[in-house]
Amino acid sequence: MHDWAHWLPLAVLTPLLGAVLTPVVSLRDRHVAPWWALGVMTVTSIAATMLIVRVALTGPFSYLPGGWMPPYGIELRFDEFGASISVICLIGWLAVLYSLRYTEWLREVPKPRIPYYYALLLLNLGGMMGFVITGDLFNLFVFLEILSLSSYALVAVSGEHIAEMAAFKYLLMGAISSLFVLFAVAILFGLTGSLNMADVASRLGDAESAAPAALALGMLAVGFMVKAALFPVHIWLPDAHSIAPSPISAVLSGLVVKIGILGMVRVYQIYNTAGVVDMHWLNQVLVWLGAISIVMGAFFAVFQDDIKLMLAYSTISNIGYIVMGFGLSTNLSIIGGAVHVFNHALIKATLFFAAGCLIYRTGYRTLADLRGVGRSMPFTTVAIAIGAVSIVGIPPTAGFLCKWYIALGAFEADQPFFGFALIFGALFIFIYYIRMVNAFYFQPVTHPEILEAREAPASMLFPTLLLAALCLVMGVLGRIPLSFIEPAAQRLLPPLGG
Amino acid sequence: MKNAFVTALLVLMAIPLLIGVTALPPHGSADAPMHTHVSARYVERGEEEAGAANLVTGVLLNYRSLDTVGEVTVIFTALVAVLGVLISFPAAPKPPDAAGAAGTARATDHAAPTQPQVSPVVGFVVRLLAPFIALFTIYVIVHGHVSPGGGFQGGAILGGLFIALTTVLGENRTRCLLPRRGAPWMRGAALLAFVAAGVIGAVLTGYFLGYPAETNHLATELMLLGIEIGIGLGGAAIFATIFLQMEEE
Amino acid sequence: MLEAVWTNVDYVASVVLFCIGLYIIIAKNNLIKKLLGLNIMETAVFSFIVALGVLDGGEPPIMGEGATGPYSSPIPQALVLTGIVVAVSTTALALGLIIRIYRQCGTIEADELREME
Repeated sequence: MHDWAHWLPLAVLTPLLGAVLTPVVSLRDRHVAPWWALGVMTVTSIAATMLIVRVALTGPFSYLPGGWMPPYGIELRFDEFGASISVICLIGWLAVLYSLRYTEWLREVPKPRIPYYYALLLLNLGGMMGFVITGDLFNLFVFLEILSLSSYALVAVSGEHIAEMAAFKYLLMGAISSLFVLFAVAILFGLTGSLNMADVASRLGDAESAAPAALALGMLAVGFMVKAALFPVHIWLPDAHSIAPSPISAVLSGLVVKIGILGMVRVYQIYNTAGVVDMHWLNQVLVWLGAISIVMGAFFAVFQDDIKLMLAYSTISNIGYIVMGFGLSTNLSIIGGAVHVFNHALIKATLFFAAGCLIYRTGYRTLADLRGVGRSMPFTTVAIAIGAVSIVGIPPTAGFLCKWYIALGAFEADQPFFGFALIFGALFIFIYYIRMVNAFYFQPVTHPEILEAREAPASMLFPTLLLAALCLVMGVLGRIPLSFIEPAAQRLLPPLGG
Repeated sequence: MKNAFVTALLVLMAIPLLIGVTALPPHGSADAPMHTHVSARYVERGEEEAGAANLVTGVLLNYRSLDTVGEVTVIFTALVAVLGVLISFPAAPKPPDAAGAAGTARATDHAAPTQPQVSPVVGFVVRLLAPFIALFTIYVIVHGHVSPGGGFQGGAILGGLFIALTTVLGENRTRCLLPRRGAPWMRGAALLAFVAAGVIGAVLTGYFLGYPAETNHLATELMLLGIEIGIGLGGAAIFATIFLQMEEE
Repeated sequence: MLEAVWTNVDYVASVVLFCIGLYIIIAKNNLIKKLLGLNIMETAVFSFIVALGVLDGGEPPIMGEGATGPYSSPIPQALVLTGIVVAVSTTALALGLIIRIYRQCGTIEADELREME
C-alpha cells in the first residue's frame, strides 16, 4: 500500500473524530469549539489536497480498510468525481470561520447549543466526504444518513418554530428517500450477492431477470432526486434552506443537495457499465424534470422578496441544470453538469454568505427593506453582485462555461428545445438580478438606519469575498476543471450511445 | 377523498415494486448469488480470518468495519442532533405570555420530579432486577464474538436499564452514572475505541482497521473486545443522555 | 406468476408493509403517527433485507462446537443491525423536533401547524 492512499480514511475520519471530540474540548469553555472545528477542517483540507493531487497525477485509486480485497471488504475508491471533496473542504472551512461571529449573534440560539452546532457541522462535512469516496453501496447509505441527520438538525438549530417545522418536513421527506435508496441497495444485493459498486456493475448482467434491476434503478433515482430537490419532490427545500442560519444555508445549498447528484453519478457508473437496463427512459424523464425545475425555480425566484427564499428557489433551478446535463448524456452536457456541481457550490455559498452579512448587520432580509444598502456595505453588495452575475451565467464568471456546455450538449443530443429552456431560465434570473442591483444601489432608502450600518466583520467578510473572487477566477480558469473531469465523464457515458 | 387519492397512488407505486420483487432469485434457494458469492467466503473462512466465531460480529467488526464506524457515528449524530435541538436557555421560567409563543399553552410542568409516581410493584421489580440486568449486559457485550450479542445489543440493554431506573428512582439519583466531566468522553467512547483499534491495526498489519487474526490471535481478541466494550458503553451513554435531555424540558 | 409470488411471499409482504408505511406518513395528520409510519417503512425494509439472507434449512451463522450444516448468510444481519441504529437515530431526532414543536405551537396536528405558518 502506498503511503498516499492512507490519506483516504484519514480524510473521512478526521471530521468525524473531530465532531465526537468537540463536546469534550468545549466542556470548560464553549468558545473553544469554533477554533477546534477550524483546526479539524484545516487538517481535513490538507488531506483532501493530497488526494486530489494524487488523482490528478495518476488517476483513480482505492484503499482497502482492513486489507480485505474487494468485494470481501469495503473499498474506498477515489476517482475524478471525488475531487468534489475540494469544494466540500473549502466551503466547510469557510462556513466554520463564518459561523464564529454569526452563531454568537443569533439571539434565538441558546448559547449552550453552540458546541453541538459545530459538532453537527463537522459531522455533515465528514459524512459528505465519506459519501464521495466510498466504493461500497451500503457504506454509501450509512454516510448518506450521517449527513442527512446532521442536516435536519442544523436546519432546526436556531430554535424558531418555523425552523423546526421546516426541519421536520425535511426529515420526513429525507428519511423516506433514504429508505428508497436502502431498498434499492437491498435489491441489488439480492441480485448479485455483493455490495461493492464495481462488483455489482460487473455482475448485474448475469442476473436472470432485468426487472429487479430496473426497479432498483427507479428507486435509486427517486431517492437521490428527492435529496437533490428535483421537481416535483423539491418542496422541502425552500423552507429549509431559507430558514437555516446563513452559513448552514450555504453548506446545504452548495453541498448537501449535490450529494443527490453524486449519488446519481454512482448509479450511472454502475448501470452504464452493467448495460442491463436501457437508460434511455430514465434519461428522458430526467431531462424533462430538469427543464421544468430550471424554469419553475427561476420563475418562483423572481417573485420572492426575501433574499434567502429567492436563493433557495435559485438552487432548485440550478439543480435542474445539472440534472438536465446528466440526463442529456452527451459528452459535453455531462462535463458541464459535473463542473456546475462545483461552480454552483462556489456561487451559492458566496450569495448565502453575503446575504448573511446583510442580515447580520441590518437585521433585514427582504429586498424592500434592504434598499440602499449598497452605499453602506459596499464590499458585501459587490460580492452579491458578482454572485448574481455568475448565477445568470454571464462570462467570464464561473456559471457561464458550464451552462454553455450543457446548452451545447442539448443541441448535440438533437434536443434543442431544452437548450432554449436553459436560456429561458437564465433570463428570469437576470430580471431578478436587475431588481436586486436596482434595490441595493439606486433606490431610495426605506430604513435610514441602513446607511449607518458598518461593513460585516472580517471573519464573515473574508469568506464572502474569497468565494466571490473564486467565482471570477473559476470563470477565467474554467477550462481546468472541465478537462479534469473529462476522463470520468467519458467513463460515465453508456458504452453504446453517447 | 384525499385518502382515496393517496391509496390509488400507492397501489400504482406498489405494482412495479411487486413485479420487481417477485422476479428476484427465489427466496431461500442455495444457489442464489446471495449465498454463493461473498457470503460463501465469509461462512467458509470467517472464523479464522475474522477471529470471531459469531460470523455476524466478524462481518460487523472486521470485514465491514467501516460500516460499523459509520453506524457508531450515526448514533452519535442523533445525540448531538437531539442536544442541539433541545437544549434550552438555562433561564428562569418565563412569564406566561412571553413574546414568541403562539398564544396557546406551553407545557407547564417544569418541576423536576423528585419522587415520580410509579406503582410500588414496578419500583420493587426494577430495583430487584437491575443488578441482574447489568450483569446480563456485561455477558452480552463480552460474549459478542462467540454467541449472539455484541456491543450494540449490550449498549441498548444498558441504556434501557438506565431509563427504567431513572423512571423509578428519579433523575437526581441516577445522574451520578453520567458524571459531568466524564460524560462527553463516555458518549464518544464508541468512535474513540474504533479509531484506537484502527490505528493499532494499522501499526500491526499496515491497513487501517486491519486485524492480525491469523498471526496474533490474542491481539485480535483484545481489539474486538475493546471495540465491543466501547460501543456498549458509548451506546448506553448516548441513550441515557438523549433520555435525560428529552425529559428535562 | 402466482408461483413466483408464493416463493417470494416474504418479499411481497415487505413491499406491502412499505406501502402501508408510506400511506400513513402521507395521509395521517398527527406528527407522531407520521413518525410511526416512518418506523413501519423502516421495519419493512429491514425485514426485506433479512428475508434476503435466509437459506432453506440453514442454521444461524454462529460457529462453535456443535454447529453444522449450511449457514444462513451473515451479511444481511449485519446490514440490518446498522439499519436499526440508523432508524433509532432518525426517530430520536424526529421526537426531539416534535417535542419542540409542541412546546412552541401547542399542537402536533399537521393541518393546524400549516395554518400557523
